[in-house]
Amino acid sequence: MKTPREILLERHQAAAPKLDAIRHEIVNSKFRRGNFAVTIWNELIFPSRRIWAGLAAIWVVIFIFNFSQRDQSELMAKKFPSPEMISSFQQQEKLLAELIGPNEPRVAEPPKTILPQPRSERRFEILTA
Amino acid sequence: MAESEQLPVQSARDGNPAAWNALFRRYQLPLYAYVFELVHNEQQALDLVQETFIAAVKHIGGLRDDEKFGSWLFGIAHQKIIQFWRKRGGKELLLDEIPESPDELENQPDEFLIRREQETEFMELLNQLPLPQRSVLLLHFVEDFSLAEIARITETQTGTVKSRLHYAKKSLRTLLEKKNENAA
Repeated sequence: MKTPREILLERHQAAAPKLDAIRHEIVNSKFRRGNFAVTIWNELIFPSRRIWAGLAAIWVVIFIFNFSQRDQSELMAKKFPSPEMISSFQQQEKLLAELIGPNEPRVAEPPKTILPQPRSERRFEILTA
Repeated sequence: MAESEQLPVQSARDGNPAAWNALFRRYQLPLYAYVFELVHNEQQALDLVQETFIAAVKHIGGLRDDEKFGSWLFGIAHQKIIQFWRKRGGKELLLDEIPESPDELENQPDEFLIRREQETEFMELLNQLPLPQRSVLLLHFVEDFSLAEIARITETQTGTVKSRLHYAKKSLRTLLEKKNENAA
């Protein structure tokens, strides 16, 4: 005859080595001094490992999406401009030139020469007037 | 009872790795048995035990009565199991409709001894019980926790624990007796 406790513990005895490994890992990592990476892993990453994995997956998806988009734009850039487009663009440019006229640079007006007058003379003029 | 043992809780609180090693070694198998019988997945049960141990190291400062370390540790594990069930969309652990009838529960023979040939059947029958009853019965079997301790672990009223334990034992006995009759 056995108690339920004896039955239950015997039934799970096979898990003991794995539980020992978990215990050693926790005790060694939690109380190992000066190991910053282990502390970060245990306190920041491991408790919410699924969230971190989800975030990583999202970043991978964004990266893949971004990479695929960039490839397409590069292909498009290689395709353009086609010879037909270049010729039509040149025709439009000629037409525009005929409508506007020759594109000559304007002659700039010569700057006005303003001779500076001494302030003392200006005052004299006011006084005599 | 588990709580009367001399455990190096204060030493563990002071950050002694050997004390933590001793505490975890004492509870690892009963805790795993409890978790496994509620989640029925080896890797998940190991993960939950690991998370429980990590949480225990982190929150040991919150434990006021060192003698209640065992029930406190099982309480952490119980919360982890509830979170596990919530993620799976199950509410069985939280809700059950067992009527409380304390007067009826007084005259219950408490011993539960299983013959060797009945062990497999016992486990099968245990797993047929609803989760709230199974949880209470496992805590009673594995660590012989008192009604008050089980109530603290499962965050329920003592009366609820009492009735759950009563109905769980009754169901188990009835099922075992039926099996015996069929066998005979």
